[in-house]
Amino acid sequence: MSTDNARPNDSTSKVPATKGMSLTQDAWRRLRRNRVAMVSLWTLVVICVLAFFTPLLPLQAPDFTQTSLQYAEPIATPFWLPTLELDTELIASTPEAVAQLETELPALETALRQADQQFDRADAALTDDLTQEQRKEALTTEQARYDDARFALRQKQAEIQDTVQQPYRKLGFANLGGLSRWMVQMRFALFGNRSINSVCGRDLLGRDMLSRLFWGARISLIVGLVATIVSLSIGVTYGAVAGYFGGWVDDAMMRLVDILYSVPFIFVVIFLITILGQEDVADELTSMGIDRITVFFFVVGAIYWLTMSRVVRGQVISLKNELFVESARSLGAGQARIIFLHLLPNLFSVVIVYLTLTIPRVMLFEAFLSFLGLGVEPPDVSWGLLANEGIKVITPVKIYWWLILFPSMALGVTLLALNFLGDGLRDALDPRLRDE
Amino acid sequence: MPLDARNLFAITALVLLLAAIVWATMGTALPPADFTFCNGTEVKSFDPAIVSGQPEGNILRCLFEQLTQWDPETLEPMPGVAESWEISDDQRTYTFHLRDEARWSDGSPVTADDFYYAWRRFLGPRTAAEYAVLAWYIKNAHSYSLGGSGISPGDAVEVELNLPVDATNTLRGELLHGKLISVENADDPESRTFLIEIDGQQQRFDPADDQDAVGQPVTGTRWCRQVLLDFREVGVEVLDSQTLRVTLESPTPYFLQLVGFYPFSPINRKCLETHGSPGWTKPDSIVANGPFNVLFRRIRDRIRMVKSKTYWNRDAVRLGVVDALAVDSNSTALNLFMTGKADWIFTVPPAALRIMLEQDPPRNDINPSPYISSYYYMLNTTRKPLDDVRVRKALSLALDREEICTVILGAGEMPAYGLVPPGMVGYEGQQCAAADPEEARRLLAEAGYPEGKGFPRMDILYNTDEAHQTIAELIRKQWQRELGIQIKTRNEEWASYLSSHRQMKYNVSRRAWVGDYLDPSTFLDMMVTGGEQNNTGWSNPEYDRLIKAAAREVDPEQRMQIFRQSERILMDELPILPIYFYVSKNMVKPYVRGFYNNIQDTHPVWAMWIDRDHEGPNEFMKGRP
Amino acid sequence: MIAFCVRRAMWMVLTLWIVFTATFFLMRAVPGGPFDGERALEPEIEMNMKRRYNLDKPLPVQYGIEMWNYCRGDFGHSFKMGDYTVNQVIAEGLPISITLGLLALGFAVTLGLLAGITSAVFRGGWADVLLMLVATIGVALPSFVVAGICIIFFVFLIPLFPAAGWGELNQLVLPALCLGAPYAAYIARISRTSMLDVLSQDHIRTARAKGVGPVRVVMVHALRGALLPVVSFLGPAIAGILTGSLVVEQVFAIPGLGSHFVYAALQRDYTLAMGLVMLYTVLLYSMNWIVDISYAVLDPRVQLK
Repeated sequence: MSTDNARPNDSTSKVPATKGMSLTQDAWRRLRRNRVAMVSLWTLVVICVLAFFTPLLPLQAPDFTQTSLQYAEPIATPFWLPTLELDTELIASTPEAVAQLETELPALETALRQADQQFDRADAALTDDLTQEQRKEALTTEQARYDDARFALRQKQAEIQDTVQQPYRKLGFANLGGLSRWMVQMRFALFGNRSINSVCGRDLLGRDMLSRLFWGARISLIVGLVATIVSLSIGVTYGAVAGYFGGWVDDAMMRLVDILYSVPFIFVVIFLITILGQEDVADELTSMGIDRITVFFFVVGAIYWLTMSRVVRGQVISLKNELFVESARSLGAGQARIIFLHLLPNLFSVVIVYLTLTIPRVMLFEAFLSFLGLGVEPPDVSWGLLANEGIKVITPVKIYWWLILFPSMALGVTLLALNFLGDGLRDALDPRLRDE
Repeated sequence: MPLDARNLFAITALVLLLAAIVWATMGTALPPADFTFCNGTEVKSFDPAIVSGQPEGNILRCLFEQLTQWDPETLEPMPGVAESWEISDDQRTYTFHLRDEARWSDGSPVTADDFYYAWRRFLGPRTAAEYAVLAWYIKNAHSYSLGGSGISPGDAVEVELNLPVDATNTLRGELLHGKLISVENADDPESRTFLIEIDGQQQRFDPADDQDAVGQPVTGTRWCRQVLLDFREVGVEVLDSQTLRVTLESPTPYFLQLVGFYPFSPINRKCLETHGSPGWTKPDSIVANGPFNVLFRRIRDRIRMVKSKTYWNRDAVRLGVVDALAVDSNSTALNLFMTGKADWIFTVPPAALRIMLEQDPPRNDINPSPYISSYYYMLNTTRKPLDDVRVRKALSLALDREEICTVILGAGEMPAYGLVPPGMVGYEGQQCAAADPEEARRLLAEAGYPEGKGFPRMDILYNTDEAHQTIAELIRKQWQRELGIQIKTRNEEWASYLSSHRQMKYNVSRRAWVGDYLDPSTFLDMMVTGGEQNNTGWSNPEYDRLIKAAAREVDPEQRMQIFRQSERILMDELPILPIYFYVSKNMVKPYVRGFYNNIQDTHPVWAMWIDRDHEGPNEFMKGRP
Repeated sequence: MIAFCVRRAMWMVLTLWIVFTATFFLMRAVPGGPFDGERALEPEIEMNMKRRYNLDKPLPVQYGIEMWNYCRGDFGHSFKMGDYTVNQVIAEGLPISITLGLLALGFAVTLGLLAGITSAVFRGGWADVLLMLVATIGVALPSFVVAGICIIFFVFLIPLFPAAGWGELNQLVLPALCLGAPYAAYIARISRTSMLDVLSQDHIRTARAKGVGPVRVVMVHALRGALLPVVSFLGPAIAGILTGSLVVEQVFAIPGLGSHFVYAALQRDYTLAMGLVMLYTVLLYSMNWIVDISYAVLDPRVQLK
């Protein structure tokens, strides 16, 4: 019954501070004693490592469709399946081809710049009293020339991309970054054309579920992590400041939170995704390297800080009347010092718990958006997308259990591990436990 | 105090919870309906003039009856409110004789005036009827429905004067009739002024809304609501209370079928003018003339209808109470059907459909059958590289339509190589070339993209829906496989998807069209230059000429020949890539009788009845082994 | 207290105004209008449609008209369901969402608190691990998955409940369970964490030292402190539940506000979306208000300002 039994009653807490036992070191020792937390930690580490090294694993390509194998059930024999071979000769020849193509770029860029200048000059030469329509009419040739130049440049850029990606694309990979390409090459060097058979079954288009799970992990994890960190940094700072200062500062800051809270964020997301999904905007963004997922990070990050700030504020309010804050204040500590050195460490357990709750929520929100059709876009995959595809084919007449079980398990295990790790961290980090 | 407050807090919460449960369970359980069907999304309105869409159609066919009705199986027009009709020799004048016993639900007789009134309203610019285009076959109806833009000097016009702001919004203002002399500021619909000669006097009229028409207009002009063609010029005429004569622009072979379509329903003037719009469509106020009356309506839940006591042919209606459930999700609808809570559903999730069709012994409640509807991809021909016909052809040749139909759809959909679906009497569709990847690659290389390298980044646009998504995915893969080009897919919600079409902000986009009547024109008319459904930017003068010629052609054989020529042009130029022709996906319980598959997938509820003792296949299962 | 409430009410008006303004302009900035039917409308017809909904007027004028209507409590007609005013839609949908929400909430609070306290008291034991496992699974699975699986199990494999619909008691159970599950799990986790916090504090140890029984310590002394974070979570949770989870309402075809809400947003039903946003705002605001008051009731250290 008593909680004291569960508490590690070891000697570390009695080590004098002068020995330089820092908070983190101490916490780490405590955490290592918590078996559940350590298992969770290792699970997460394994998942993250696997996700990171996915291109290196002997998996089938995630976007390789074989409609003849539509809805094939999980199968483990034979364990190895021969798949397509990477065309190494083609890859070897790409740098040269790319270099060749790149020499043509500057000319096209210059042409585009000239067309742009021409357009500006022609535009400036027009008198001011023309209507929008008339201006457009007068500039038709310049506009067309500019469009052509831009099209030519884009085409060349696309050609370079295509030359680089072609060998991988043929196999059924989505666009790969430099590191991933290297890893895929290594994978073929290591394992040849052997791939693990579809031990998790296949989907509607006959794509291998196992590799989709792995590739989906990359996106799901990144979405959860990045968005949470964005929201965390905003929320904690905001909440701590509001709670600590109290009075009108608190009032004003919390009213802002209330107002933001009262904006149903599903709207915000739908709005932003539709506005940013508009062809011309999306075009512009893609050329700047921003895709829907990046947008998603920031939108979600900017939404989820609200709860965090509210909880932190609540804790700070009840903490700031505590003795240790009073004493720090009486010792003349500055306000920033009090907030960041004295209050924040005390918030750690709350923050950690909320972190472990927020990552799942973000990942679930991503799944919810997939449910509405606003989530990750093919050929990319995420666990939410897979779960949604799985649930859509569940009907009273036939259940393709592997399509729903495996993505749910992947999500479930990850979030379970996150939660248990969070608990362990909380126990390890709680300074009040440490005082004992 | 704190302790009391705490207790109070807890007690309040508990009481609220209890109250909620009591309230929820108290809701009187409804007596079950005789027949229940899942009617898709929430119905927009009961006003026949302003709606379009399948769910609305199912309800309005129950509530209203038009001059003709469609035979539930063959869709041939048969007598409705009109008990007989005559067609003039030049096939441009139809005289309808209304039956004496036709009654409104308030007991009053249905007369030719009710049709005249309803059709005028249907065409009136202020009604903003989406389907008004269907009435443009009537003489001068098009000009009338365009309002101020549809008239030119010399025309007989009517001027509708303003009413007080607080007048019932369905009342018409006082009408003045005269002759249009001239229009000032004709280019700008916002600030037009009309000079009209009325009883020999010239007057100027400035159209304005009632609330804007309060001040004194510029001297010498009068406010009015609108100026439009004199409705007496339109080919609708009441000969006597039981006789209506309609004159058409040109012979329209399917006109009898057209007037059986729900936008041509009569409207009870008294009801409309008493309650105003949209108040008159409330279940308590609506007066209609169909086989069923609406009892109540719960948003996103159900519409309950009961057999009308005043309908002239009430003895033929065998269902007493009918429920139309508003169920958006296909899976939910299927669940309801499987648990016996619904007797008819008209969409089935593709994954389940395939399994059910393969079940052994064969199911006795599913029977897909073709209907006139095309699924196709539009190509934006104003953009590079889709402006190049070789690229469009390459895309078409690289498509494996068979794979799409067998792998994804699997209900017996037919691969489409033309726009017009089979089933049009006297018409054979023109086709584009079948899959030929080799030729496709050659054409693409010829257009400057060998092995697809350098092909611009493009996406396939579709509206959010599972089936569209999978098709887009597979087509993306097919093009990548055969042509080496990289395409993405992009989904948008219905509203933004449509506006992307209208602004032509897309490269390739999914589209479907359901024929409104049995004639190739319902498909081919779309693609004329600037046509409202032609969002491809494609324009071909010869095509436009042919479509115009077909509208004037009296000889049916000749007419079909012209249509064949025009579809040939379409399939050579390929501004659209036909993908497949739909099949209907109804599931109907074996005890439902009087439900027929037909090529418009239209199923009037009045023809159905429940026969639980029935053994063997019902009408719906006809033709399925 | 009264001063607090008055000030809060004033803030609420301000909030509503800001939300109104933001939503108004945001909605009009989004591509796609209410009249983008499948058939393009004749310009004349489209102008008439726009006039009917005042969309032909300059934006500031529309804003003014709309605001005046809202002040009178008239939310206008729904664009997409022409037969209904927004007020009618709310009047039909809100009671359903409230009933469903209260049931879900009752379920969530009861089960959540029970699980949270049990697992805090038996920290580290198998009960703790098991309960937290179940709670985590509740959080870890998307609600559409939970609902889909529930239907397969409890409708088809073991035919206990109907698949969908609204009005009878047995139609309520599954959706309420599915809607409440994630909240129950959150509450279990939060209450466990805060319970552990409280259990380690001085006054609990003092109470124990004084010989107060373990059950009394937990139920009377510790519970009060542990409720605080739960209550602060309830604010958003209630509002979230009340306006209805879209997924649950859609899967079970329940005509609550949740489905109205998202359909309105996705279909650009300006007026309905706007009305529901405002309703949601009021609800959320009041919930936060109540939370703050209950904070003060439950924790004497916090004063209402």
